[in-house]
Amino acid sequence: MLGFLLVVLLIPYLIAAYGLLFVKLRWGLRLFGAFIVATIGLLTVMFLVEAYPIIARDGVAVFLQTGWDPVRESYGVLQALTGTVLTSAVAMALAMPMALGVAVTINEILPARWRGVFGSLVDLTATMPTVIYGLWGLFVLGPTLQSLVNTLARDTMTSPYTLFTAGVLLAIMITPYAAAVIREGYALVPKPVEEAIYAVGATRFEAALIKLRYVRNYILGGFFLALGRAMGETVAVAMVVGGNFVRFTTNIFESGITISSLIALQFPNAASYQYMVPALFAGALLLTLFGLAINAVAIYIIQRGQI
Amino acid sequence: MAKVEFKNLRVSFGASPVITGVNLSIPDRSITALMGPSGSGKSTILRVLNRLIELYPEARVSGEVYLDGQNIFDMNVLELRRKVQMIFQIPNPIPNLSIFENVALGLKLNRLVRGRGELFERVKSALEKAQLWDEVRNRLDMPAGKLSGGQQQRLCVARALAFEPEVLLADEPTANLDPENTAKVEALFLELKKEMTIVLVTHYPPQAARISDYAAFLYKGQIVEWGPTKDIFTKPGHELTEKYVTGRLY
Amino acid sequence: MTAERKAENITAVRMVINWLGLGLFALLGVAAVVPLFLIIGDVYVKGIDAINRLGGLWHFLTGLPPTPYEESGGIGPMLVGTLYMTVLGALLGIAVGFPLGVYIGEMRREKFANVARAGVNVLVEFPTIVIGLFVYAVMSLAKEDLNLYLLDPLSRTISPVGGWITQFIGPLDGFNAYAGAAALSIIMIPYVALITASAYASIEQPLREAAYATGGREFNALFVVLRKAVSRAVLTAALLGTAKIAGETAPLLFTAFGNFYYAPFTGPTAAVPLWVWYAAQTPYEVQIASAYGAAAVLLTIILTIFIIARIRG
Repeated sequence: MLGFLLVVLLIPYLIAAYGLLFVKLRWGLRLFGAFIVATIGLLTVMFLVEAYPIIARDGVAVFLQTGWDPVRESYGVLQALTGTVLTSAVAMALAMPMALGVAVTINEILPARWRGVFGSLVDLTATMPTVIYGLWGLFVLGPTLQSLVNTLARDTMTSPYTLFTAGVLLAIMITPYAAAVIREGYALVPKPVEEAIYAVGATRFEAALIKLRYVRNYILGGFFLALGRAMGETVAVAMVVGGNFVRFTTNIFESGITISSLIALQFPNAASYQYMVPALFAGALLLTLFGLAINAVAIYIIQRGQI
Repeated sequence: MAKVEFKNLRVSFGASPVITGVNLSIPDRSITALMGPSGSGKSTILRVLNRLIELYPEARVSGEVYLDGQNIFDMNVLELRRKVQMIFQIPNPIPNLSIFENVALGLKLNRLVRGRGELFERVKSALEKAQLWDEVRNRLDMPAGKLSGGQQQRLCVARALAFEPEVLLADEPTANLDPENTAKVEALFLELKKEMTIVLVTHYPPQAARISDYAAFLYKGQIVEWGPTKDIFTKPGHELTEKYVTGRLY
Repeated sequence: MTAERKAENITAVRMVINWLGLGLFALLGVAAVVPLFLIIGDVYVKGIDAINRLGGLWHFLTGLPPTPYEESGGIGPMLVGTLYMTVLGALLGIAVGFPLGVYIGEMRREKFANVARAGVNVLVEFPTIVIGLFVYAVMSLAKEDLNLYLLDPLSRTISPVGGWITQFIGPLDGFNAYAGAAALSIIMIPYVALITASAYASIEQPLREAAYATGGREFNALFVVLRKAVSRAVLTAALLGTAKIAGETAPLLFTAFGNFYYAPFTGPTAAVPLWVWYAAQTPYEVQIASAYGAAAVLLTIILTIFIIARIRG
């Protein structure tokens, strides 16, 4: 009944909000604001409710134990959590240098008329469907990385689909998000400060380093926003991570799983088991909390940076 | 002999010309004032002299500028800026760097000093010359952005002096200062001209009259008249100059 | 003289470091966009080949997907589902996102507007699978009562209109196109809102005052007079947001679910990204080929919208 009311009242609510725009503008606008805040609140509550059965049964152990055994109704998301951390770490280590490179290339190296084109390409990288990244990762990147890594060190990567593959693919996908924030900050370096940097005899490279130091808040903010993306990305990761949700591993060259890809891959058959749906919602709750925390940090850092 | 010589300098931003043929020589160890209403191209001339104009992609420069007989556009830009330092109209320390680092940055980048001891001495002496040392000696690690406007401007003076430059460009350095700080800066310039050539841009004729040895009057991108300051102010050869120095042309 | 020489050497070394450093930055920057070309190239080379092999463009755009043992097939149902859900999701996303953006952009002095802004900032970065799960949870909570009290009676009332209407309106399954569209709209809302907000925030104060002076009521000032100043940015946001949601997969996994056939939108609905996701992971060569063909079609749609947005914006 609750859900029914929720869905049915949504329509009059939005109509009322629109109506109020004409009568009492500010209150109409406030209703739209309330809508978004309520959505986030409801989402969190919903996940808590859905995850409750398994948290009531296992407590926080569900986040701390490994092993995913539907037959015995035993679920732990630690291996997925570890996978999320490892893939994100690989992704961030590769993405941040590239994001810095993008910001410096656009602002310092390219002639003015090429900046827009290059910027559009970077934006397009962010707009590309994630499933197409997954497709490419599945048939091109995975096999290429495997032969590359194995040429450097024999038999390191036994499968093309590993945590490492997922990390590299993620790095390509999240670079534009970090780059966008850094570019925004970089463009805000005041002209007088730029003149000061060059007036004391900095080369362009030295000037770039000094400016990056000046926008360090944006770099940190971009880092956290990109990290949020990396931790939440689903389909592309699920396609190349190997889908190993049974065995715990910390070796990035082995198949693994992440929280979001665990949800994507296991949800279709979750309904057959009593506790699997709650366990997956517990994973989603974890993602939500991470998302909230990371975004809060990122927003705080960026706003603090705007002196 | 002239320290700096402009020969038929022309600058345009996009389609609009800003400097339309300037010829000027600036004598060594003296203060030369560039006067003129706003928009007459004074700041642009300064930015040509240390080639900061190259930061403006839409700017087109032609003509020649010589420093000690050497064309500055043939020089390495880093060497040029080591010799030609600049103080800006709006104080522009790098706000996130400390007071010390702001002065030390150029010295470190250009490897002008050896070792920390020499660096400290050089920074200290620059801050002393700029009359800032006593106010900041106990908080050299503080971000420069936290200083007051007057202090920031003196920090920028120190930053320029740390180079021990041959030419000091000053773009309306007192425009944002109170009378007391203005007097300090003017006194400093009179002291400094014993060691270096100073090019002072000002939109305030009395300042030029007070401290400059030579003065040039710029109007719409051209030099109307230039010569010893005394002559410019007492017997201007051009109607526009007379109007300007007597405060009837802005 | 030696000091002079030393200075020259230092300068030379710094210039070398300068070029090396800038080169490294440029290399890293280029590395960020090279995969884009590799991916687009890969998708089109294999995709066009696949479309030709599976029966030509028209058949591919309209036909049913190939079973593992067929030689030809298409993505007709997927294309229809994607278009339907994307259009619905985009409309709803703009309808809520635009006023929301006006609120957080124009009423910045209000405390609650800042709360809403934080909410939007959080939501725009949210993992999309989480949003899909949320809609799934709401759907499974609401479905039965919704059908019992509203949709069953409604579909009986409107059934005389014709059979076609049951394709769109009727009792819902657990997975349906409307859940998919809702998930897509939740992704679109913050996107549109943020760009609208920054467009309104960047209106210069004199123009704003003039708008309030001539517009009379605040509504006219905000939505009629100032609209001209922001319409371009908002249109770009709408187009880019549409491109974004057209390619989303994760939020559709548990909402639209996917389908092999042309089917009513009240039940499991096919979508191009879902088909790419599904078919690419099958072991059958023909289905993998169709995944590449589908990816090429999807990429074409998104590139088209993206280029339109860039040219207009």
